[in-house]
Amino acid sequence: MREPTFLILTVLAGGPRHGYGIVRDVAALSEQRVTLRPGTLYTALDRLTAEGLVEPDREETVDGRRRRYYRLTTAGHHALTTEAARMHQLVNAAETRLRALRPRTT
Amino acid sequence: MSRLEERYRLLLRLLPADYRREWEDDMVAAFLESMDTGDAETSAYVADYGRPQLSEVASVIALAARLRLGGTDAPPRSYAWGEAVRLATLMATLAHAVMVTAGVAITTWLSGNIAWLPAPPPDWMPVAAGNLWRTAWDLADYAWLPAYVALVLGHRRVAQALALLAILPPALTNAVRQAAGEVPPSASPWVMLLLDGVLVLAMAAFHDDAAPVPRRRWLRALPIGILLVPVPLFAVQATSQVLRLLDWPGLSCVLVSVATVIHLAGRRPYRPARALPWSLALTLLATTILALRLVTMVDYGHQAQHATLLTIAAAEAAVLLAVGAPLAAMTIRALRRLPAAPTEPPREGIGP
Repeated sequence: MREPTFLILTVLAGGPRHGYGIVRDVAALSEQRVTLRPGTLYTALDRLTAEGLVEPDREETVDGRRRRYYRLTTAGHHALTTEAARMHQLVNAAETRLRALRPRTT
Repeated sequence: MSRLEERYRLLLRLLPADYRREWEDDMVAAFLESMDTGDAETSAYVADYGRPQLSEVASVIALAARLRLGGTDAPPRSYAWGEAVRLATLMATLAHAVMVTAGVAITTWLSGNIAWLPAPPPDWMPVAAGNLWRTAWDLADYAWLPAYVALVLGHRRVAQALALLAILPPALTNAVRQAAGEVPPSASPWVMLLLDGVLVLAMAAFHDDAAPVPRRRWLRALPIGILLVPVPLFAVQATSQVLRLLDWPGLSCVLVSVATVIHLAGRRPYRPARALPWSLALTLLATTILALRLVTMVDYGHQAQHATLLTIAAAEAAVLLAVGAPLAAMTIRALRRLPAAPTEPPREGIGP
């Protein structure tokens, strides 16, 4: 799973978001390191919707503009859980090795 | 609707209509929200005078390329266009790579560095370059070879960077020489620069959704291409003066005509889906090369043998038109027959 996809799913795990809400939350979550461009966001949303990981939630009109919200599906929740577990295992492995390295480097 | 929204909707017209029906309003809302500063006066100014940012334009262009030049999961028509552009790009880059690789071999021979070959005639000796920088500048053209290898190996951005490295130094040199009056003004280098620029842009069709290029087949095409084109040309050149009348647009006409004839002769009517990307790729190449041939004929007006050169160029264009027109007609009919909705076409990697 690519980082933008992981971040979009992580944002949606916090509740339904509309397009710009996802862009804003991804920037905040990654501490401004990742800025999703609309081309990237809607490519990902189109693909995630087709794969059944994300689905439209509701529509609202704010200041005359339509906002379509998206939410995580059960399959999306499962995919994110699997990816998070995989990353967690990698982080654990890295930390274990770094801890083992530390006494020798000091 | 504000002027800014109009500009965003105009930009989104790059995307296919069915995609716009699904996503346009949503995308415009996201664009406009991203420009919202929270201050009423500034927002009103931006609504009138704001423009899509360069990064937004680039992301929409990339999305349009991905959708219109589809990969393995795209609808049949988008997939056919995607495969055709990828094939045409590979063939054009291969042609550059073949010619520069042969150029390296010939330069090495002319420099007397291949001892086992007979010495070249004295009037073939290369003109000594002025200095190291000038030599390096002239060698930039050879970047087409690693650019082709990078494209085949799936490193699209590296290929684009290397191709730019091959294109820009000769373009700058030409601009300076034409401005200084060292060479007469001519359209040919600029038209070829434009086409090379289009080639670099067309490499965007090798996006993540596209199937990987079959490496072995396309890498093998490089030595085969050298044996089939520059080696015979060089052998003829060594014994006859006739090839001095054949320039790059002329050679391109001959190559595309031969490839089209081979394609038409070997086409299997019971496998139209497999043949279509090749037909479309050759149609694209034939159209481009025909335009190149016609435009570059203008430059013959200044040359001593202009009557002979014009006759040869007209014959090259006529042959290309004669073989390209039936292929184009068949290709357009086949494209129209393709269903708009996604089906299951054969999704093999592109191969020669």
